[in-house]
Amino acid sequence: MQPPLSRRRLLRSASCGFGYLALSALCQERALASSALVPKVARHPARAKRVVFLCMSGGPAQLDTFDYKPQTGSKPHPGSVFGFSQHGESGLWISELLPETAKHADKLCVLNGMHADTGNHAQSFHQLHTGDRLRQRPSLGSWISYGLGTENHSLPGFVSLNTSKPQVYSSAFLPSVHQGTPVGVNGEDMSAATIPNISGGHLPASLQRRQLDLVQAMNREHQSLRAGDAALESVIESMELGFRMQSEAPGLLDTSSEPAEVLERYRVGRSVREGTCKPSDFGRQCLLARRLLEAGVRLVELNHGSWDQHKNHRRDLRANCEATDAPIAALLEDLDQRGMLEDTLVVWGGEFGRPGLVPDDGKDETGHNANGFTFWLAGGGVKGGHVHGRTDDTGARAVEGKVHFRDLHATILHLLGLEPDALTYQHEGRPHRLIGPEGGRVAQEIFA
Amino acid sequence: MSKVSPVSRLCLLSLPLLITGAAGPSRGDEKADLAFFESKIRPALVKHCYECHSEDAKKLGGKLRLDTKEETLRGGESGAALVAGKPEESLLLFALKWEDGLEMPPKEPLPESVVADFEKWIAMGAPDPRSGPPVPVAPPEETRTSHWSFQPVEKPELPTVRDAEWPRSDIDRFLLARIEEAGLAPTADAPPERLVRRLHFDLTGLGPSYDRVGSFVADHAARGDEAVADLVDELLASPHFGERWGRHWLDVARYGESNGNDGLSRNPTFPHAWRYRDYVIDAFNADLPFDVFVREQVAGDLMASADAAERDRRLVATGFLALGAKPAKAMNENFDMDVVDDQIAVVGSGLLGLSVACARCHDHKHDPIPTRDYYALAGIFQSTETMWGLAANEGLTAPATDLHVLATAPRVPPPAGFVETVSPIQSNTGKPKPIPKPKWEPGTPLAMGVRDRPAPEDARINLKGESKKLGDRVPRGFLTACAMPGEKLVERKSESGRLELAEWIARPDHPLTARVFVNRVWRHLFGEGLVATPDDFGVYGERPSHPELLDHLAARFVGELGWSTKALVHELVLSRAYRLDSAADARLAEADPDNRLHARHSRRRLEAEAIRDRLLQASGELDPTRPEGSIIRHRDIMVQLAGSLHEPSRHRSVYLCYLRNSPPPELAPFDLPDALATQGKRETTALPAQSLFFLNSPFVVEQSRILARRLLASPGSAEDGEKEIAAAAIRQVFSRDPLGGEADRIAALARDADAALRGEQPDATLRREMAWAAACQGLLATNEFRYLD
Repeated sequence: MQPPLSRRRLLRSASCGFGYLALSALCQERALASSALVPKVARHPARAKRVVFLCMSGGPAQLDTFDYKPQTGSKPHPGSVFGFSQHGESGLWISELLPETAKHADKLCVLNGMHADTGNHAQSFHQLHTGDRLRQRPSLGSWISYGLGTENHSLPGFVSLNTSKPQVYSSAFLPSVHQGTPVGVNGEDMSAATIPNISGGHLPASLQRRQLDLVQAMNREHQSLRAGDAALESVIESMELGFRMQSEAPGLLDTSSEPAEVLERYRVGRSVREGTCKPSDFGRQCLLARRLLEAGVRLVELNHGSWDQHKNHRRDLRANCEATDAPIAALLEDLDQRGMLEDTLVVWGGEFGRPGLVPDDGKDETGHNANGFTFWLAGGGVKGGHVHGRTDDTGARAVEGKVHFRDLHATILHLLGLEPDALTYQHEGRPHRLIGPEGGRVAQEIFA
Repeated sequence: MSKVSPVSRLCLLSLPLLITGAAGPSRGDEKADLAFFESKIRPALVKHCYECHSEDAKKLGGKLRLDTKEETLRGGESGAALVAGKPEESLLLFALKWEDGLEMPPKEPLPESVVADFEKWIAMGAPDPRSGPPVPVAPPEETRTSHWSFQPVEKPELPTVRDAEWPRSDIDRFLLARIEEAGLAPTADAPPERLVRRLHFDLTGLGPSYDRVGSFVADHAARGDEAVADLVDELLASPHFGERWGRHWLDVARYGESNGNDGLSRNPTFPHAWRYRDYVIDAFNADLPFDVFVREQVAGDLMASADAAERDRRLVATGFLALGAKPAKAMNENFDMDVVDDQIAVVGSGLLGLSVACARCHDHKHDPIPTRDYYALAGIFQSTETMWGLAANEGLTAPATDLHVLATAPRVPPPAGFVETVSPIQSNTGKPKPIPKPKWEPGTPLAMGVRDRPAPEDARINLKGESKKLGDRVPRGFLTACAMPGEKLVERKSESGRLELAEWIARPDHPLTARVFVNRVWRHLFGEGLVATPDDFGVYGERPSHPELLDHLAARFVGELGWSTKALVHELVLSRAYRLDSAADARLAEADPDNRLHARHSRRRLEAEAIRDRLLQASGELDPTRPEGSIIRHRDIMVQLAGSLHEPSRHRSVYLCYLRNSPPPELAPFDLPDALATQGKRETTALPAQSLFFLNSPFVVEQSRILARRLLASPGSAEDGEKEIAAAAIRQVFSRDPLGGEADRIAALARDADAALRGEQPDATLRREMAWAAACQGLLATNEFRYLD
């Protein structure tokens, strides 16, 4: 009797390697007979092929960005304290702080019914990225890389720009090759951000390939005496990826060839520093993201923070919006102009939102609110100029069209053609998945 | 698996509960309604809700009180949600039903019948007689729980095993009993050439030479176990033992030579931190009993010392409490408390395996660490003055402090002509500012550390962790959850209480201290701890895989072994289990994929330090001596202004400069800890960044060239065929003979490289060296070089 097909055996027999597992007809056919070890293939047509996640850490204030809450009734209540107006044919309400993004109102699908489990930064940030609040679990990008592979064999499937901590781009128990590759660490100068040792130049490329062939031959021999060690397999694959990255990554990270008009439009190098708003060179991040997406990276995460303006809400929120508004608009414009927006899902949001201020009561302080907040999506098969979900009149709590992080994850996977319930990996004796044992609901209502 | 993780439940405590509306019209018989409240609702409120939602709550959950009618109706933080008469609109009921992400009580839902009572009560219009002052609630009687790690260590009975021949030690009996229970059998013993490598790396962090492997294999063939025992004794006596095991402890101590990003990207150096590093290495080499080691680090300054040298050593030891990362002082009213918090965290996670620090802001719902305990400890550390030094004179990060001046250490002034090239800047203007003259003469031997404040006092609870919102004063003391017989609060009120804390932690009957440490030692030798979460023995942590074995080891450690780390290591590595092969048949691998039964040895990737040390060993460049101090010993500057402070070094990796947020580039790709908190378990990833390190890093390229040069310069190599050179390379890099065909393939690569480089390097001698460097680099980049069986 044929033994059940493990992922490992499959890899040894499949010439395609880790990346394109999910696309392989062989896998598809035999996965049915196997355990959850083999990633499940797309069961429906993909609407999106790649994702760019604009991660707004700290908890953006939804009531002063996308969730317009004018005063109702006679008694002042928490709501929007900045001006809003309607934009585009859709008449989407957008804050005065985001004039450039507002020009793309008809591309945005605003989710005003987001909610999460905890108003604690670290845990909610972790859950947003991995589905779990505490444990080290694979990041969303790692799951996507695992499920779809990379479109470009010379680049990692998942890149995290201006990143914070390794836990949020970790592949955890998934093969290491699906781990996010950090480019630039939060707090460092993004213009100097690169991948260490990306080029050596001490050997001609062909000779280096020849050298690596010997290394890999020895590695395979070493491994054949240690059958079934997944870590050793990961290193073999990782050596190849590292080698291939040398040819593509340096050029991609060098934006000096971009026309001055582009650099200006993205506001490259023009960081904003004010209170909680830290310089992040978000313009360069957006431009790098476009270049990486064009080159076939599956998921690019960008980071800007912190939106955690407890005090000086008005000043610091304004700064955070200014730092990100034009760069995001430039990214949307370029993706659209290149025809990429159709199959690129843009995701904007942070670990939670904030309660609203009461206009004219003299206070300028906000806290955290995980009970109702906003994300927006664009491109990648979602409706444009659309609002899904609603919070109550004070914006305190999602009351309609609620979308939990698990639902968001399920929706993203679904848009990518993956089956969120079935994208599993066996670890510690049981199958794991991004949406956890609780599962997530795909928000079909927002599909175009 | 449970539906909701404990953490989510914990976090939900902070969710505001909304209570809306006023009491609706009362329906039915008022008296009966009130009776219903008294018999069904009030007891449930008192029992399940008042702890967090009453006047007496230590921390009021979501600003919601449920102990008076008025407060209940007024609601919590954000407004409203008990709609009298409308259960379906009442958030209170959602919370009780664990719906909509609101889950109360957080630990587990109330019985359905109780929830039904609330539903009925709200439908009645929420009749409530409680007006006026709230009835006081008795505090929970005790916080001690039945959680395993708080129970006293009991020396367990030895289990019986079927295969009585197999065990060499009691450890083996405990393991074998479980292996047999699972219907499995241990794998074969590791062949001696594997065992000698394993012992060398595990005990010293360095690999054995080719000759050493050969001599051990021969010795083993002749003398068997005696050869192993002799090797172990030799390695335990090596000064490299302390370098290896000291580095393990530095991970626990979150050791760093700079402050790390203070949140505003400023990162001052700690030029004197290295003294603590050397202290730790020396302590492991001298086999300082672990209880003394603990006492010195927590309260060395308060211990009576025999002489000035011992006093110096103990002052340096208190660096343990001083070298944590600090957040910016600027606009941070909680700065002093943040420093205290770091100390509580490192004592908690590092020594006790408990995350005490969460209790700063709220009671730890599952770990029985109440906020009061946190502030009992905080009083001790608030009564302690922490001395990190000038911190680059950047007052906005951490204001300059005094330092210990050592009496017996030599004065080492900066080299003649030394000029600091990194100048501090004004934070607001970005302009250079003058460097204040330190109070010490240049070269004065200084150490980070702590000492008691002149007027120790008890701490007051910081409500929600905010030092401006003060609650009760809490007498200084220890953790009630692991209270031991005869234990008292801090008695000597005129001192900080640190010495009493140190003595309390190092008590032989402490349920955690020995368990946590022996588990750390186990983990470094066996690949995974008996408790897989070495820094967390609390309720969120993993349960021990072999609780009896853990207790056996803990009891022996404090008893027969006299807290001796070397004796413990000796005992562990001479067990048969440690000496098993890492190879296993498919059945064993399938049955125990994570090797929790230890029926085989766990194959491991070497840590960052061992990889770099091995590279230097392979090239023959390693300088095994200890360098003096640190490259930053005269540099009190901002790391982020300096570009890179690292310099090439041939010394062991443990002596490199561990700047936070700016790790040594030769170690950075290999999962170094961030040194912000205790990290007893490093990751082992296999990222492309590591591949790139082996393919391109100047360090690897350099070592490859040096190795090639050495091979080509060694006597006889001119006549030797290329295959012989390749064989010599394999012996040097892997400490073994070439396997079939290997030498030929390596020689072929060198030949091809020579041909490929012809256009680039016309000089045949230089070209030959480059070609062999390419071949050597290949060997260094293999998995065999990085992984240990």
